[in-house]
Amino acid sequence: MEKNIHMPKLRPEMKSGVLCAWLKEEGETVSAGEPLFEIETDKVVNQIEATQSGVLKKQLVEEGDTVAVDEAVAVLEAE
Amino acid sequence: MLTVENLSLDPFYNQAFEEFVYQTFTEDDVFLLWRNRPAVVVGRYQNICREVHAADLLRRGIPVVRRMTGGGTVYHDPGNLNYTCITQTGGQLDYDAVLAPVITALQALGVPARKDRVCDIAIGDRKISGSAQRLVKGRLLHHGTLLFSSDLAMLDKITTHRKNDGFQSKGTPSAICAVTNIRDHLAGPMTLEQFQAGLLEQMVPAGGRRLTLTMEQEAQVRRLRDEKYRTWEWTWGKTPPFTYEKTGVFAGEPIRIAYGAKGGLVSGAAVDCPALDGALAAELLNGARLEPEGFAAICRRLAGDRAEELLDLLM
Repeated sequence: MEKNIHMPKLRPEMKSGVLCAWLKEEGETVSAGEPLFEIETDKVVNQIEATQSGVLKKQLVEEGDTVAVDEAVAVLEAE
Repeated sequence: MLTVENLSLDPFYNQAFEEFVYQTFTEDDVFLLWRNRPAVVVGRYQNICREVHAADLLRRGIPVVRRMTGGGTVYHDPGNLNYTCITQTGGQLDYDAVLAPVITALQALGVPARKDRVCDIAIGDRKISGSAQRLVKGRLLHHGTLLFSSDLAMLDKITTHRKNDGFQSKGTPSAICAVTNIRDHLAGPMTLEQFQAGLLEQMVPAGGRRLTLTMEQEAQVRRLRDEKYRTWEWTWGKTPPFTYEKTGVFAGEPIRIAYGAKGGLVSGAAVDCPALDGALAAELLNGARLEPEGFAAICRRLAGDRAEELLDLLM
């Protein structure tokens, strides 16, 4: 089943974050708890982990893109 | 609360030391104090060339170190004391929870410190401390600078006057702030060593654990330093994608330089100048690694004894 992965909200005031690094490439297998990407907001770099296992089907944004909270950044084909 | 002593002034070692402690002492709250010899420390996702004049730093022998936290570019020297707080969080980000105890400790030492902006500490309206964070699986690393007796003229020269406007780049820009040294705001004389000892006493009172790394752990830190923080792949290869364009005068002739880079590798290079071999310039630049030493070598081949003049236009 395909699932969208969204930009998380890490502070009540957070409106958007910059996806600064992909840690998995398209087509790669991901286990729950494994790092997927890094985002930066307000001088904080946050490593975001997969909450489910599967295959990273599509990266919807490029490194450096500013993404609004709750907007999809990737599609995961869940196991 | 525990602390781990780090007497090194090596900016690459100290980044590795902090990361090692972050990954090794996972059960406790940790507080570290450390200093660097002169170095420029950039955020995880910054374009070094946009923030500082990389060729100028090369000539001055000041290294550039990329850290694993967000935020902007800072200049460190031994008059600047860095602190690191590592703690567990519920996942939500909160600068105040970390900054408040540090500000209280500073005030106890007679520093009229107050919080400013999102995560700065100031005296009056002048900044004495900037900070940045990294959050992995609920474990927060927060670190900040404390200007005690830094060379502020050098700091200003390096971080504010050499911005390069030729870069169209993604990545995090730095804020420019008026700064001051803590030492100039104290009621009586205090050395940096006294300030450091006093701050440690406030943050890790008697009863807290004070550790030093074993020789084997130090070897692991040195390995991390050599395999990550000293590598081109980390420092320059992590540069956000950009395009660069600059026009000016070289050897009395008009010059236009353009190139881009992704993953730190140059492409689309064009150098138009009657005094230079444009075809050779494109050949040498395309595929080259973005870094001042490599660019300096290319400039020597293209421009001989005018290499430095060309390098100043190239990055």
